[in-house]
Amino acid sequence: MRMYRIALVSTILIASCKKWSTEKLNLATADVPVATPISDAAPLCGSIKGTMLAGKTYIVGCDVTINAGDTLTIQPGVHINVKNKAGIFVKGSLVSLGTKAQQVFITVDSLRALKNDAPNQDPSHDPAFSGGWAGLYCASTCPMLILKWTHVEYGGSGLSIAQGSIVNQSSGTAFSILFQNPNGIYVMEDSWLYGGVDDPIRISNGKICIMRCTFEKAGIKGGDCLNTKGGTVGDMAYNLFVGIATNGQKASNKGQPVGASQTNIRMWNNTFISCGWRQIQTGRGANINFEEGAKGMAYNNLMVNCKFGLRIVNNPPADTANIRYGNNYEYADSLITANQIYPTNAGLSGGWTIPQETDIPNYHSFLPAGYHFGDTYDGTPVLKANNPLFYNFPLPVPNQVPLYGIQAVNNYDFRLQPGSPAIGKGYTGFTPLAVVPISPTFGVTEITLPGSDIGAFQLNGTGNQHY
Amino acid sequence: MQSYFTFFRSFLVVIFLFVSFSLYAGIIRGKVTDSKTGEPLVGAVVVLEGQGHTWHAIVQLDGSYSFKNIPAGSYSLKTTIVEYAEAPVINTELKETSEQKIVNFSMEAKTADLASVNIATSGKSSDAGVRGLEKNASTLQNILSEKTIQLLPDVTVANALQRVSGVAIQRSTSGEGRYAIIRGMDERYNNTLVNGVKIPSPDSKYRYVPMDLFPSEMLERLEVIKSLIPSMEADAVGGTMNLVMKNAPLRMLFSANASMGLSTLFSSSRPFSAFDHGAVNPRSPAEINGNSYMATQADFSRGNLNLNSKNLPLNTTAGLTIGDRWIHKKLGAILSLSYQNIFRGSNSDFLVPNAQPQVVNNKDNQFVISDLYTRHYSTQTVRFGLHNKIDYTLAPGHTISLYNMFVQMNEFQARSTYDSVYLNKLSDNFTRSRLQKQSIYSSTLQGDHKILDQFHINWIGVYANAKSKVPDMAEYDYQSATTPGKYIVQKMSRIWQANTDRDLAGYLNLVFTPHLSSLKPELSLGGMYRHKTRNNYYNDYSLSPTLTGGLPQTWTDINSAQYQFSPASLGTGDVTTTNPNTYTSYENVSAGYLQFKFMGNADLQVLGGARVEHTLQGFNTVMPKSYTGRSGTVSYTDMLPSLNLKYALTDKQNLRASYFRSIVRPDFYEIIPTQVVGELFDIKGNDSLKHSIADNFDLRYEFFPSGADQFLIGAFYKIIQNPIEYAVVRNGGPSAQFLMPENFGNAHNYGIEAVITKYKGMFGISANYTYTKSRITTTKQYFYRDPVLGITSKIVQQTRPMQGQADHIGNLSLLYKNPKIGLDMQLAFVYTGKRLSQVSPYYSLDYYQLGQGILDFSFEKRIGHRFSVYGKLNNLTNAPSKTVIFQAPDPGSKFPDQQYATRTVVGKDIYQLTILTGLRFKL
Repeated sequence: MRMYRIALVSTILIASCKKWSTEKLNLATADVPVATPISDAAPLCGSIKGTMLAGKTYIVGCDVTINAGDTLTIQPGVHINVKNKAGIFVKGSLVSLGTKAQQVFITVDSLRALKNDAPNQDPSHDPAFSGGWAGLYCASTCPMLILKWTHVEYGGSGLSIAQGSIVNQSSGTAFSILFQNPNGIYVMEDSWLYGGVDDPIRISNGKICIMRCTFEKAGIKGGDCLNTKGGTVGDMAYNLFVGIATNGQKASNKGQPVGASQTNIRMWNNTFISCGWRQIQTGRGANINFEEGAKGMAYNNLMVNCKFGLRIVNNPPADTANIRYGNNYEYADSLITANQIYPTNAGLSGGWTIPQETDIPNYHSFLPAGYHFGDTYDGTPVLKANNPLFYNFPLPVPNQVPLYGIQAVNNYDFRLQPGSPAIGKGYTGFTPLAVVPISPTFGVTEITLPGSDIGAFQLNGTGNQHY
Repeated sequence: MQSYFTFFRSFLVVIFLFVSFSLYAGIIRGKVTDSKTGEPLVGAVVVLEGQGHTWHAIVQLDGSYSFKNIPAGSYSLKTTIVEYAEAPVINTELKETSEQKIVNFSMEAKTADLASVNIATSGKSSDAGVRGLEKNASTLQNILSEKTIQLLPDVTVANALQRVSGVAIQRSTSGEGRYAIIRGMDERYNNTLVNGVKIPSPDSKYRYVPMDLFPSEMLERLEVIKSLIPSMEADAVGGTMNLVMKNAPLRMLFSANASMGLSTLFSSSRPFSAFDHGAVNPRSPAEINGNSYMATQADFSRGNLNLNSKNLPLNTTAGLTIGDRWIHKKLGAILSLSYQNIFRGSNSDFLVPNAQPQVVNNKDNQFVISDLYTRHYSTQTVRFGLHNKIDYTLAPGHTISLYNMFVQMNEFQARSTYDSVYLNKLSDNFTRSRLQKQSIYSSTLQGDHKILDQFHINWIGVYANAKSKVPDMAEYDYQSATTPGKYIVQKMSRIWQANTDRDLAGYLNLVFTPHLSSLKPELSLGGMYRHKTRNNYYNDYSLSPTLTGGLPQTWTDINSAQYQFSPASLGTGDVTTTNPNTYTSYENVSAGYLQFKFMGNADLQVLGGARVEHTLQGFNTVMPKSYTGRSGTVSYTDMLPSLNLKYALTDKQNLRASYFRSIVRPDFYEIIPTQVVGELFDIKGNDSLKHSIADNFDLRYEFFPSGADQFLIGAFYKIIQNPIEYAVVRNGGPSAQFLMPENFGNAHNYGIEAVITKYKGMFGISANYTYTKSRITTTKQYFYRDPVLGITSKIVQQTRPMQGQADHIGNLSLLYKNPKIGLDMQLAFVYTGKRLSQVSPYYSLDYYQLGQGILDFSFEKRIGHRFSVYGKLNNLTNAPSKTVIFQAPDPGSKFPDQQYATRTVVGKDIYQLTILTGLRFKL
């Protein structure tokens, strides 16, 4: 581990000397251990370990557990169809090795058949939110959860008490993915998460790297898409969020285990579209939230038609002295959004976000003189201004589609057009925390460094690869 | 506080003015007492005849009577009292007007023919009578007599308990006393008996009994026993509360009372909130349709969440006691009924601490406030009590008796909470309705047989069943929207909870009293067996509002709000009832003892021996095989020696010393690895929890000058091994933090206790004071900023008092008793010092309740022969209850009443004055 980290940090130092580049890191290569092949002849049930073989379809018929010390390796192209609201419980390790060409699916086929991503679906009847299977739940003994080019869909059916007792959760818990080992690593890169009920991904604590993923329709009426709690350290970058119930990315130090590190997350170059509208609690639903004792960074994020802008929460207070942010880009079709680019107290959001000179739009153009964070202001001047010019996403959103009606990527394309005002406005003068090893199997394949174009898609083709 | 002292000072001045009258000359005075017990025969009439005149005087509280301004001459005095043999007429002479003559009457009770009926009546119900019991008892006791209880400002046993030396009470949310803390030992460390027999508790979690279930008028006396002997059940460290119920009288008894009153808390601006009790569904959707049924919002009534207002609800109480004795007094029966319908409430402000402390402005471990709750409780309590005792003397020396008791308490509570999310200007409006039905039924059949002159057998068979049901506790919330005046529908929860606790028990005691005159030995041998079964049911539904299209739902009212389970499968009983709170458990306790008692010399009584108790506890939850701790048993055996020495310095003074070893069993749910929702933090059971063992030492000096007067001073010391205390445990996710009962080394508890009661003529003063100090060391979590890890936490040790223990507790009562005009008055002040009310998981952030003094007043005035009017006024000064955390208040705090520099007031409860007046009839 230490070797990896030293190697990685030095690499980053070298890399950061260059003005702007995307470094493909490929340091250590470890052999995938020779594992027992898992048969697809009958639905899986009970304890499993070994390797799911490339291209095969497996049915999970009831709860499966990967016992402590065991590993489940999923080879490229595996399709897992989960039935009977079963869950996958990981006390050992799970490594899913999809590729761009051979993606892995963990899904519910019967719901997949009903998928409808046309705008403005009624969430009460949308199968995305119906909770088809329990989810991927890691116990505090799980040292490693690796998801590469993997789709996780329709989770969050709500744990039974028996399921909950495996991973120390109460019944009714409805996450799609849970990770909860402060010393374990959780890597999710180039992957997808679709649907869900409560927090689609709850990271109670751990060392994480979540890169170049796409999240859609996450959480029905509450739930933060990437909800990190006390003792989580790592990076979130180049992710695309569409139609998330509450926040896209949240950092909080709540529930920190004794002796664990403070939550510290660096978030850069993410794109958020129409997030926060389904959250039933007033004042919540930004795209990035720093809460209760958390620290970190937030740069180069692109936020379009979300309920609130970047939110630094004052009660309980985030570790405000140790949060750095800037170069964040806001677009607003509605005055509701425009008036909350900097969340206001009147908006019941308890805002503590200090406007930055590098923000787009320039705050001098609409904030009154003597503005103090949390104050109410009139966002009319920036309404429908600064269209980021996506490849294929009409802005302003046509009148017949309410802002909250945009819930999934559908056939949109959120890459920037060459003339976009977001291009070249990014800040690259910081480094990732890089707390997980670089590895094509037991770590992250690539940590994409901060990019100069705001948002998840870089004009040069780097960043998020889902297009 | 100032106002109390001013009040007392003027009261004392009045007393001394009255007292000075008794110093007048030309007086014939004396005392009228029972020849056996020395008890003053209060209310007896003494007739003085001579010089052509007749005077009458009534015997007062201290047993005295007096005739003043009597001219010189010869006189005859006589007195007659029912149930006492006629005393001979006494002649006396006053030679001059300045002379004082003292004439005492010692009256012989006419109970000779009843001696074989092992029944004591009037003696133990009066104040002076119980002094005799306290003096003669082998154990350390404090007793309240029936007459004392009747005059107290209290209508429940729980509230009456606070008048006993060394006892503080823990109040419920409506300000009503509920549990007793004896000598700084909270409710866990005490047990409750009815007529000497243990009763089960209807509480859903604990084995201790809520003492507000019992109307105090059912009692003949209330004993708090502070040292145990081998023949008593050994699970008490602070003390045993023994509720001695009324016995069948010697002659026809009929008494009835009724009263009305109100709480001044309620008004048109702060009405009492009531809900439709009929809309409460007694059974959950899963109980009605089976666990596989998928409930929807249609399965939940809304009627119990529609609150309506009553401006000034009236409290009513009524009681009736009938008793008589037949067949040459061999068969006796008593039936007593008590009914109370009381509306109470409280206004409560509470600062909710955030789930974990923060590092704020480089200050470590700061608690920050997440919410401010402003709560209004409206509680209607309907108590019904019935008890009945039938005794029959089979033959001289052989009696058999059947005792039945049923107490029931239905509590209807509406709670509205205005939750302003601190600093955020965001507010939530919660409404909760809760109905709890609790009852205890206990039936005992008892026999007493004198087999030979020296041999005595006593047996008891017990069936008892305690129940509690909280059907459909319902709460919903709506939250302010960004647009002022608009609100958004939030979650709704519905919980069904029920438990039963049933005892089957048998007791057998053999007593051998050989005739060895100087030693007066008594050897007892006995045992008991109790089989207890307990069932718990818990079903918890959580509904969330349906989205309107893709947006949150706007609030109009509870009837139109739309809810759903998401996902829908969360509405099935398979999910909602399958939790470790649903369990059955049992406990078998078998015990045997050997006890000896003898006179070491003429003045020294020695009582000692040993008791062995074996406990077997078992439980079975509904959890699947994959769940560790789904079922289990635990058993242990304890050898419990004790020794009580009583040395009679004079016939009015005793010196006592005692030692006993006792135990405290964990509560049923505490050993089951369940997680239950607590008031502030969730609580989880601990299957490796051990029972506590305590060594108790006592020393007491007693002086019983005469009548009801007494002076007691004593000291105690207790060492408790493996005390059970709650401490923070953290495993799993951010919300998976809870308190867990754990054993923590040894705890020490010591203190002194003093009681004084003094009557002078028509005035009396009764006071007690207890100083207690206890210490226990437990683990706490401490948050700080580490140079490498950033904000983090560590586990540290902290020494603190035991929960509930107050350093200072005391009572002061001023009594006025005028038998001539039949007027009794009492002003009672009770003070409970600062005490730890809630243990926090975090270092130095425990909740302390500040010292509180409550002043109550009561009176009773006879009207004619049969009637009396009475009144009880509680909380005259509207003393608030305040809770603090010892941390300087946040300078930006918007919470009112932050008058302290070094502590933050986090809770404040206001109950206001309550008034009750009534009429009593006695045949």
